[in-house]
Order: sequence, then structure tokens, then C-alpha cells
Amino acid sequence: MSHHGRRLSRRALLRAAGSTLALAALPRLAAAQGGPIKLGTLTPLTGAGGSYGPSMRKAMEFVAQEVNAAGGVLGRPIQLVSEDDQTNPEAAVRAARKLTDVDKVAAIMGTWASAVTTAVAPLCWESKTFLTTVSGSDTITQLPHQGYLIRTQPNTNLQIGKLAEFLLSIKSRRVFVLAAQTPFALPSQKRLQELLPKGGSELVGAVIYDKDKTTFRSEIDQALRTKPDMIYLNGYTPDCTILMKELFKAGYTGAKVAQGYAVNQKLLDSMPAEVSDGTYTATPSPAVDSAGYKRLAAFLGSGDLDPYSCQCHDQISLVALAIAKAKGEATGTAIRDHVRRIAQGAGVKVDNAVEGLKLLAQGKEINFEGASGPCDFTDIGDILDCKIRFDQAQGAKFKFVKMI
Amino acid sequence: MWGEVPQLLVNGLVAGTVLAVPAIGFTAIYAVLRFPNFTVASHATIGAFAGYVVNVALGWPAWAAVAVAFLVAGAAGVVNDHLILRPLRPAGALTTAIGAVALTIVLENVVRFVFGNELRGYDLPLRRDWRWGDVRIGPQQVENLVIAVVAMAAVFLFLAFTRTGKAMRAVADDPTLASLKGIDADRVARLTNFGGMGLAGIGGMLLGLDTSIDPLTGFRVILSVFAAAVVGGLGSIPGAVVGALTIGIAEELSLLSLAPAYRTAVGFVAILLVLTLRPRGLLGERAY
Repeated sequence: MSHHGRRLSRRALLRAAGSTLALAALPRLAAAQGGPIKLGTLTPLTGAGGSYGPSMRKAMEFVAQEVNAAGGVLGRPIQLVSEDDQTNPEAAVRAARKLTDVDKVAAIMGTWASAVTTAVAPLCWESKTFLTTVSGSDTITQLPHQGYLIRTQPNTNLQIGKLAEFLLSIKSRRVFVLAAQTPFALPSQKRLQELLPKGGSELVGAVIYDKDKTTFRSEIDQALRTKPDMIYLNGYTPDCTILMKELFKAGYTGAKVAQGYAVNQKLLDSMPAEVSDGTYTATPSPAVDSAGYKRLAAFLGSGDLDPYSCQCHDQISLVALAIAKAKGEATGTAIRDHVRRIAQGAGVKVDNAVEGLKLLAQGKEINFEGASGPCDFTDIGDILDCKIRFDQAQGAKFKFVKMI
Repeated sequence: MWGEVPQLLVNGLVAGTVLAVPAIGFTAIYAVLRFPNFTVASHATIGAFAGYVVNVALGWPAWAAVAVAFLVAGAAGVVNDHLILRPLRPAGALTTAIGAVALTIVLENVVRFVFGNELRGYDLPLRRDWRWGDVRIGPQQVENLVIAVVAMAAVFLFLAFTRTGKAMRAVADDPTLASLKGIDADRVARLTNFGGMGLAGIGGMLLGLDTSIDPLTGFRVILSVFAAAVVGGLGSIPGAVVGALTIGIAEELSLLSLAPAYRTAVGFVAILLVLTLRPRGLLGERAY
């Protein structure tokens, strides 16, 4: 029996493969030139950052809705594709892969944990997808990202600088750091080591722990042995909860300080007030007086916004404005090349994407100043400055202490 | 540095005693069924969450919740063995062990599906530690110690003095002779699973009572449990106790030179040393 007619001839196979590849390339070409602009959001809807992810996503949906209602970016509507990074690098990489390979988004916005951003960044710069993040670790902008990464969060260098200033101002003399294993653990420790002696204080010790454990007895013993008067809890909410309870059980009477994303209202509500009382927290302060902040607060229905939602609001605005500045080319490369042209410089100051798009259509230059701050970036993608707000937990509520 | 030793010994004693409970379960199942049943990990988690549910939702005190942990984990152990591991047993110990690893991952994820990933704490008052000089011990740790000792005493008494206990020891010693005597191997296997996994459940809950629980509770401790059983001699119940105390104290003393993050290396090194130098373990392979 002849199988000549049945089998696929090589020529037919090559033809089929070629046209499939061409078809696969079409969506990206279409995305670049016409049809909806696909942007990806990758926020921690679950996991250690789960208190912030949903509201970060809502902030981005808010901007997309406003822009689409006003006619979109040069006539094209923004289409958001949302994924959950679970505050876990492995899950985040799978989600980012899906966003870049399947949805072919021009930008991924909102990654929160430094470990997640560090894992996702190489995927982005290799697929030429623009990444905007709220992660703080210094190591992130030092990656060879070729410009495909910006962050709206102050980096570790800036944050710890302000923390050291605060600790010196409240006369903490013997500081011990209990840090979760993260990209910013070692840089934070080194920066404190460098800055504390300048004010007459001392970093008496530091321990980096694996945050997936349920007990930190030995780490606490190590800390208490050095007789500190201030312990810096440099971790996330779940491990800080355990640490604070164990410090209470161990009878520690000194001061504690932590980052605001870790020791937040949810943590205060989960334990008796006497366990958390007196703990200081440091939080990057959004631009509370700006019109952008006020509009976002009205939409989210809350008077006191977390910095990450404000940053996400700014990130999607910057991406939309950059695409418009690039004459509608919705690719990561175009965003990279145009974002600083609309984020800083001598243009007209705007605080929302709709107005910015209008002015760009009229041929004017703009300078976007967001709800999180002025949004001016260095060459490697860091923001230039940020105010940090210090609060103290009293009776399971936060009281403002000072702004540095 | 040497001033730390008393505290480390105290921590090690508590950790070792709590570790002994699932270790006994693991080694007993090995003695009777002749394969390492790694599902001890997920049954520890199941026990911990069962205790959590009755403690938090129903307000039961800790000791009652521990009893529930024993019963639920034990029942789950019997069901899981009957449905999944028993059909694999004719294929040999290695296949069954691999099946157990797969099963433990599935069970852990079932718990995760129902309860989510976040840490949960039992509804117990936060009490300050008791201090003597440089040494501190928590009231909850002392309670865990007592519960663990009571559980172990119950196991020893059961095996030494009850008919069923003696039947289990007979099957562990020589299954053929035991069946000649009319002892039903299947019934003994079921009881062993119930008891062994029940002990794992108690172990899981004791681990969480002082701190918190999450779906990974059992997985975190399985290496230490296996190490404890191997060090003492797989199949020997007193060996499991000796092994657990050894591993518990060794893990704490390792902090004199290692960072806390490397503690589980002790379990690996212990298994390596024992299997290389004295594969029978410290007390040899012999059920009590």
C-alpha cells in the first residue's frame, strides 16, 4: 500500500510551520500598532504581601477606566491582564511567563516583594517587556536591566539612611537587626553598620533568618544576648508576628522598629496591644497633598492610602503616557525610551494620565507628578528622593511621630 | 559561648521530647509494615489543623484539642493507607515509600486548599517565659514536654501489657510466625497506622502550640523525624526516643558554631554518619 498521499510532505510541513509562526507574531504586531493596549499587573493578591495586592490592582484599574472613558491612548483602549504573584518568586515567574508569552503585554506593573522582582526582571528585559515595581532592594536596579525597569519605591540605601537618622534622633545606642532572608537583608545591615557609628550608636549584631519557620527561639536568644536597646525587625508580617510574640514571651523590654508594610494595622489587630505597644514603624510617605492622591483616595474609599497603591496608580499613568509619547507604539522598548520624557523635565506639571494625554495630543511637553511623589528617575531606574513617615503603635493603633 | 550551653540543652530537651512522638509513630510503622512512611509529615499537619479547628472554632482547651488531633490524624492514616499505600505494598518497600512521598504532597495540598497558606495560631493566652538566671523556658514548652511524655508512656504500656500491643510486637518481630499463631496481620497493620499517624498528629500539634501552624508544619520536621528514627535504629521504639533526644539536643548545640538557618543540616549529617558507621542505629533494629 502506498503511503505517499497520506503522509505530510516536507514542503507542506515547512509551509504550515511558517504560517503558524507568522500567525503567532501577528498579535504582537497588532498590539504594537492597533487594537487594545495590553498591560499586565502582577501584584501580591495572596501571601505575605496579600494586604496590598488587591488595592494595588484596583488603583491600576482606576486609571485604566479613566483613560478608556476619555478615549484611550491615541484611540486605543487599555486592557489590563491581572495575575497573582502570591508573594512567591516561583509563582511569580510562572505568572510573568504567561503575561509575556501568552498575553504579550507591553509592561508588567506592581511587583511587590524584592525576591519576586529579582526573579521576574530577567524575563522582562529578555522579552523586552517594561517592568515597573514597588520593591525596595538596592540590588534590583543594579541588575543589568538595560533600562527595562523603573521603581517608584525608595531604594534600601535611601530607606535605611532615613531609618538610621530616626534611630539616632531617638537615641537608640545598641541596635540589633533580625532580618528575613531577602535581597535587601545584607544591604540594610551594611548601611546601618556604616551610618550608626557616625551618631555614636552601634550595630551590636545581626541575624538573617529563614522566614518560613514557625519559631525563632534561637534567633531571639542570639539577639537578647547582645543586650540591645533597639531591635530592627526587617521581615514581613507573618514572621514579624511570631518575632514580636516571642520577644514578649522572652521578656524583652527594649524598643522595636519595623517597616510599615510588615507591622501594619492587620498585625496590630492580630495580637494583644501589650505585645505591639511602643513598636516604631517606617513607611514611605505618598504625596498626600497632591490632587492625584486625593482623587485615588476618593475612588478607593479610604482617607489613608498605602504607598503601594499610590505607586501603582503612578506606574500605569507613566506607562500610558510613555506609549502616547511614543506615538502609540505599545512595546516595552518604546516605553523605556520615552518614560523619562514624560516623567521629569521642564514640561507642564500634570497629576493624572487623562490630562497628560490631552496635552501630549496638543504637542506639549509634560512632567508627570504622581500620587506617590514627583516620579523622577535616575538612569538606572531609582527615584531621587522620598519622605519617610515614622509612627508608633500605641494601644493597637498607630500614632504619628515624625516625617524625615 | 559556653554560657549558652544550659539554655541550648533545655531547648534541645524540649525539642527532642516533642520530636520523639512522631518519631515513635514513624518507626512503629516501619517495624510492622517494613517501609518508611513519609506521610507522617502530612498527618502531623492534619493533626495540627484538626486541633486548631476544635480549639479556635469550638473553644476547647489544649489537652482536648490534642486528643482530637490524635484521633483525626489516626483515622486519616488508616484511610489513606487502606486506599493508597496498601495496594502498593506488594510492589516492594521502595515503591511504597515513593508512593508515600507523593501522597504526603497531595495531602499537604488538600490542607492548603481548605485552609490557605497563612500562619495560624492556637487560641491560647500569651504567657511570659519562666527564668532561672540565664535560662528561660516557656510554660507552653513545659506543657508540651508533659504531653509528649504521657503519650510515650501510653505507647510503652500499650505495647508491653495489652494483648493487641503484644500482637503488634509479634508481627514486627516475625510476621510469618505471628500469622501461624492466628494473629491477623491486616488488623495489626490498621492499628499500627492508626496509632502511628495519631502520634504524628500529636507531634504536629505540639510543634504548633508554642508558635503557629501552616500546611508546611509537618514537612518542616520530617527530616528530623526520619533522622531520629534512623539514629535510634529503624523499627526500635526506644531507639526512636533516644534518637529524637539525640537529634533535638544536637540541633540546638550546633548553634554554638552554625547559624540557625543551617540547623536541618544536623539531621542530614546524622543520617549520613549512622548509615555509614552503624547502619543498625544506636539501639539496633528491634521493636520494644
